[in-house]
Amino acid sequence: MATGFLTDTTVCIGCKACEVACKQWNQLPADGYELTGDSYDNTKQLSGTTWRHVAFIENPKKRRLTGDVDLVALAEDVTEQLPGGAELDALGRWAFMSDVCKHCVEAPCQQACPTGSIIRNEFDNVYIQPDICNGCGYCVPACPYGVITQVPHDGRAFKCTLCYDRQKDGLEPACAKACPTNSIMFGEVEELKQIAEERVQELHDKGYSQAYVWGTPEVGGTGGIEGNHSKFILMDEPEVYNLPRHPYLPQEKVKGGTIASMVAGAVLGAVVALAFRD
Amino acid sequence: MSEITRDQVQRSNGKVETSHHPETDPERKDKNYYGIPPIKHAHWTWQIPVYFWIGGIGAGVQLFSTIAQILGHKDDDLTRVSRYTVLATMMISPVLLIWDLGRPERFYNMLRILKLRSPMSTQSWSVFAFGNLSGLISARQAAEDGLLGDDNVLVRLVKLIPARFLSILALPVGLNVGSNTGNLISATSVPMWARNWLFMGPTFLASGLSTALSWLSLVLHLTRSGEEKTLRVLHRAEKAALVIEAGLIAASLVRMSKWSKPLFSREVAPLFVGGTLLGGIAAPMALLFGKQSRSKSLLASVLALAGGLAFRFAIIKGGRISADDPEAYFTFASEENAPQPEDKV
Repeated sequence: MATGFLTDTTVCIGCKACEVACKQWNQLPADGYELTGDSYDNTKQLSGTTWRHVAFIENPKKRRLTGDVDLVALAEDVTEQLPGGAELDALGRWAFMSDVCKHCVEAPCQQACPTGSIIRNEFDNVYIQPDICNGCGYCVPACPYGVITQVPHDGRAFKCTLCYDRQKDGLEPACAKACPTNSIMFGEVEELKQIAEERVQELHDKGYSQAYVWGTPEVGGTGGIEGNHSKFILMDEPEVYNLPRHPYLPQEKVKGGTIASMVAGAVLGAVVALAFRD
Repeated sequence: MSEITRDQVQRSNGKVETSHHPETDPERKDKNYYGIPPIKHAHWTWQIPVYFWIGGIGAGVQLFSTIAQILGHKDDDLTRVSRYTVLATMMISPVLLIWDLGRPERFYNMLRILKLRSPMSTQSWSVFAFGNLSGLISARQAAEDGLLGDDNVLVRLVKLIPARFLSILALPVGLNVGSNTGNLISATSVPMWARNWLFMGPTFLASGLSTALSWLSLVLHLTRSGEEKTLRVLHRAEKAALVIEAGLIAASLVRMSKWSKPLFSREVAPLFVGGTLLGGIAAPMALLFGKQSRSKSLLASVLALAGGLAFRFAIIKGGRISADDPEAYFTFASEENAPQPEDKV
């Protein structure tokens, strides 16, 4: 059985309860008080001490709004024409996205790890065994999503464990438990996949044709990664959420690079041997 | 990321917008999240490029001395310098590598498993094996040089070590130490490194060989030792290695295409263009291809050695800039720019 997350960004309200619940449950240290000026996002990114991160995307003119400014009506897609076809573009739209480790099907960090510290546990989640990690840091540039990071002073790499400890006790992860709008869903990957497809269809029916699932082998979980156990329903291009569209598994080319190096070794050896001929 | 001032926005559409969203701002073409890097760069500090350089020298020296041995070229000075050089590089390398770990006291976990898909794992095992082999080979050399005392039990025991056979055994392992460092960095999500998966290993190996030949030539010239033929061969091989290295760097730049930009940035260009291309390849080539003299050869060796070190630093620093550039990563990770599983070698 593989478990994972489905993060439906269309119902995220940016409350950051997931960030707080994650920090609290996993006893992660504070990152300091930094006012970035980047909307209401003062967390900036996922790191070894931030395993959930809510992105704040201000999006004023993405949808040209015509009609009533009544927010409830707007949310329900009730629109009225303004006299003279006037347009309202001052009303902004927010996009929030609670980012997390993607728990790749073929995980680059796990393949990079030379100590075997990063494993797949019984829930098919990508898990770092903290008692084995020796802080070589090779998993950090291997991750195509910038999730895994070394913690200074500690030296080891950390990331979302998908609340391994809670799952063992039959509980859902802290972030999913805390999410007030059910934007973060936890469950079996196959079930979540179906929920995601149904939700996207529902959004399409409502006229939001831009909705799609990110983290599939077609988008976001590409290039040998074979999809992610943490999927997202997005309403904009992946890059807007700081996500890559077409990442790839870096270890795909280890064999090719090694063969090329063997050829180079043979050629250099032959050149040196030729230099011995007088 | 392009910096847009409030004035520019006001001029362009008459309104002040607070959003970062690209479609809000007609002057912005890039799509990213407040310019925050979507991937994380490696933390590696100076120990890693220095290790790449030293490991490359060890690999190159092993290649030259083993081929000399196979071809029956007799030069005791060359053998001695080669064996002790490899031992020294393989004694310094683990120190640098362990120093760089976040938890140095757990270095032995590197040898907990063997993972062929992880160049870091195969690299650790290669350094371990190469180091031990060179230790045995050098012990035999030390016994022959009388460093372990005159005829005692230890000397008699050590003289049983089949050094010539072990040298041949150490050659493939050593070559892996020299080239695998390139494959190690290209098996990451860093655009500049990953794009060059085909030539990174060969380039590192060629650069390792040219620095190794320069080191041997430098030591033999300085100590005024070595056979005349050895010096002649080294001179020829140095020239060939520099030409091959230059060719592989050119091929790498073509493969990296626009993602090679960090190498020409203000921070890295002095190392790459100045230190590597001009100082480390063009200058020693000019010195070696001209009329031969001892002082010119010495200078060429020093320049090539320094160039090899500058090259490793340029690649590591360039990778950091590449990883920190959202534009580079998003263009790399869109469509077919990233290496694809179905790509053939």
